[in-house]
Amino acid sequence: MIDHKPKIILFQCQWCLYSAEDQTWVDTQLPVNIHLVKVPCTGRINTLYVLNAVQGGADGVMISGCLPEQCHFKEGNLGARRQLDQFADFLDHIGYERNRVRFTWLDLQDRGRIQRDLAQFEADLTKMPKSEALATRVGGHHD
Amino acid sequence: MTDLESKLTAEIANLLDDKKVDVFIAFKKAESPLHPQPAFFTESNQLGDFVYNSLCQNNLAAFIPRYPLSARIGMVVRGCENRAVNHLVVEKQHARENIFMIGVPCEGLVDWHKLVNRFGEEMIAVDEAKDEIMISYRDRQIRAPRQELLHDSCLRCVHPNPLSADVTIGELKPEGDPTLARTEVAAFSALDNAARHAWFRKEAERCIRCYACREACPMCYCTECFVDHGVPRWTESTVSPAGMRAWHIVRAFHQAGRCVSCGACERACPMDIKMTYLTEKLNEDMRTKYQFECGMDDKTQPPFAAFNLDDKNRFEL
Repeated sequence: MIDHKPKIILFQCQWCLYSAEDQTWVDTQLPVNIHLVKVPCTGRINTLYVLNAVQGGADGVMISGCLPEQCHFKEGNLGARRQLDQFADFLDHIGYERNRVRFTWLDLQDRGRIQRDLAQFEADLTKMPKSEALATRVGGHHD
Repeated sequence: MTDLESKLTAEIANLLDDKKVDVFIAFKKAESPLHPQPAFFTESNQLGDFVYNSLCQNNLAAFIPRYPLSARIGMVVRGCENRAVNHLVVEKQHARENIFMIGVPCEGLVDWHKLVNRFGEEMIAVDEAKDEIMISYRDRQIRAPRQELLHDSCLRCVHPNPLSADVTIGELKPEGDPTLARTEVAAFSALDNAARHAWFRKEAERCIRCYACREACPMCYCTECFVDHGVPRWTESTVSPAGMRAWHIVRAFHQAGRCVSCGACERACPMDIKMTYLTEKLNEDMRTKYQFECGMDDKTQPPFAAFNLDDKNRFEL
């Protein structure tokens, strides 16, 4: 159990939130324990970004992107899905639990889903112990 | 000079004399019998030093991306080197018609770490028969079964025969058992998260960041590696826990769908760090998820390059 709120890094494709209210909420009203990294497309997310988040002590990483047919750049998300999903499996292989990396592929018509998914993710992470595997730069100190 | 070596020398001499290749990449004798050295033959009269045995540990395909596409290169290839060449052709690092491969079915490489740990470093010659390794000292000779000294990745080798060599010398070997090859990584995956992480840390923290694994790998041909970037600095380039773990994670992950399981990275490591438990996991995933095995032909794109809309329902939404 975590006694404080889990630290979450949200990688968000700038096109996946079609609804202006949702985007405004993400841009301005995110809870302080959620750190937003906006990217032009999920295809832009290098696995090193995810790794740096994990090494920086993130309890969870959430990646939000568009559904397969709805990518702004036609197929950026297809490559990202293969790579990032595999990277999450690979991190699990060396001890960073698989359910700490979560994807939310948003339909253009979804409203309020990002809030729901983040809340659910936070609730799930709160039930898990604090992430220690791979976290090496917590609080700016090395172990 | 063994029978195989004289056949190879004759073949290579012909290629060089007929100007069929510009350079022939192979091995030559070095000061230590344990480490034959990569050599680049351009004339047939240089072949006096030529050597080919189970201690030729490098994967010579690693030199191919350094040549321009028009260079005609000759190589002696084992199963894994042949697959590495195939995959380099897929990634357009060379033109297939400019590579001449002399295939040799592989008996498995002798791991010099195992040899030195068991017999010390004072040996003056290492010879081999079919199933035996003869280690000569100044005053005596010891024989040891080859099977006990083989490198781990050769023990689980599935395709020891060259697949698409232009000439093949020697008798083809039976294919390896794929289930046996997977037992090790399956056993590692069966451990719990904490145990897997402890193992990873134990291996990674011995790293001295010499990047020998990168230099030995035929697929690590980027002109600038992510660890060498100054701006932006992707990861710590010092011997710090964060940097060492990031190096091992990302080096392995860059091989996803591209690793031919030759084990050159492990053989090159001066600290005897195990790395194939990472790359074998990725290979296993590529096999089960995408039915892809790297290097089996020189056409098929690896999974991360071959995505399409059929992936629609592959992942959770």
